[in-house]
Amino acid sequence: MEVMMMSKKLLWIFAVTAMMLFAVLNVFRKGEAETPPPLSVHKSVAIDSSKCIAPASFMRANHMQVLYEWRNSSVRTGNRVYIASNGSKYEKSLNTCLGCHSNNRLFCFNCHSYANVKPKCWNCHLSPMETP
Amino acid sequence: MMNEQRREFIKKTALGVLVGLGAASGLVPAFSLEKTVLPVWDEKPVPGKIRWGMLIDTRKCKEGCQQCAAACHHAHNVPDFRNKKDEIKWLWQNPYQKVFPTASQQFVSKEIQDRSYLALCNHCAESPCTKACPTEATFKRWDGIVAMDYHRCIGCRFCMAACPYGSRSFNWQDPRTAIHDPVTTYPTREQGVVEKCNFCSDRLVKGQQPACTEACPEQALTFGDLNDPRSDIRLLLEANETMQRKPELGTKPSVFYII
Repeated sequence: MEVMMMSKKLLWIFAVTAMMLFAVLNVFRKGEAETPPPLSVHKSVAIDSSKCIAPASFMRANHMQVLYEWRNSSVRTGNRVYIASNGSKYEKSLNTCLGCHSNNRLFCFNCHSYANVKPKCWNCHLSPMETP
Repeated sequence: MMNEQRREFIKKTALGVLVGLGAASGLVPAFSLEKTVLPVWDEKPVPGKIRWGMLIDTRKCKEGCQQCAAACHHAHNVPDFRNKKDEIKWLWQNPYQKVFPTASQQFVSKEIQDRSYLALCNHCAESPCTKACPTEATFKRWDGIVAMDYHRCIGCRFCMAACPYGSRSFNWQDPRTAIHDPVTTYPTREQGVVEKCNFCSDRLVKGQQPACTEACPEQALTFGDLNDPRSDIRLLLEANETMQRKPELGTKPSVFYII
């Protein structure tokens, strides 16, 4: 009797989970269809933002220096193209990072709250939590 | 006993939802933020090669039309506090006496005096604000634009005192509370920094015209390189009688007016 009840419950759990998954996926698919067509891109350089600019271990230790360098050289000297060690090019922009990393809404916040650091980026820039 | 099963059920459902969400986020790579767009300048820019400027044909400017200012303020998340004291302005309209208080013409027609005139940062070649700034937060760019590095602004407002055109506004309050229709393609500012027109350097880098130039239904605004003798703006400057705001101060504004 007890076993029968358990398996019935489990069946229910699976059914509910499947429905929720379906609903969530549907919502995301709708969002996908609504994205505007990409802006025309200058032909001379190919910028690829689908890969990380450096290994995660390097970025974990040095992202603040990288971002500081990006901020200064792009705002002040107008040099907006970052060339990684393997030769691939990236736009020096927080959005280059958030293009992938905003998948995780807690991407910046998890570590920063653990390390108790309070960077001021999100006073002005969009954070992974606010990205559409 | 009943309670125990209820607990199990809730636990497992929550787990299921988490797994579902995780799968969904992994399956959806689409990203609706600003697309990474190639800068026009592949290499480091050459200082002094370009000097961006603007010519405003005030004869074409229609009374009551606010489309340029609306486009500008919307594109750059400029807050609107609906309060004169806290007002933030990048591009705005003022009467003749306020825009050209030292104009040398006497006895100008009533029609000219009654019109309103566009005002914005003049991106002066000899900019007094950049000389006043103690942290170099505002600086002269390689292309003649007087730029703001909001990261460095300490909010001392020396630049506001130095600017003879009132082109700079101070964020007395958190601007994010007063942005009614925010865009994701440009950052906001924060409380305690000065802001002003950036000559749409964010759009220039994508090869676009400034937002105001593009928004004007009468094509009253012409934007171009003042260092290029064959540019539209230089040809118009040669063909028309133009004036600058307070030219006697020697700031060499890059914004010109046809009255």
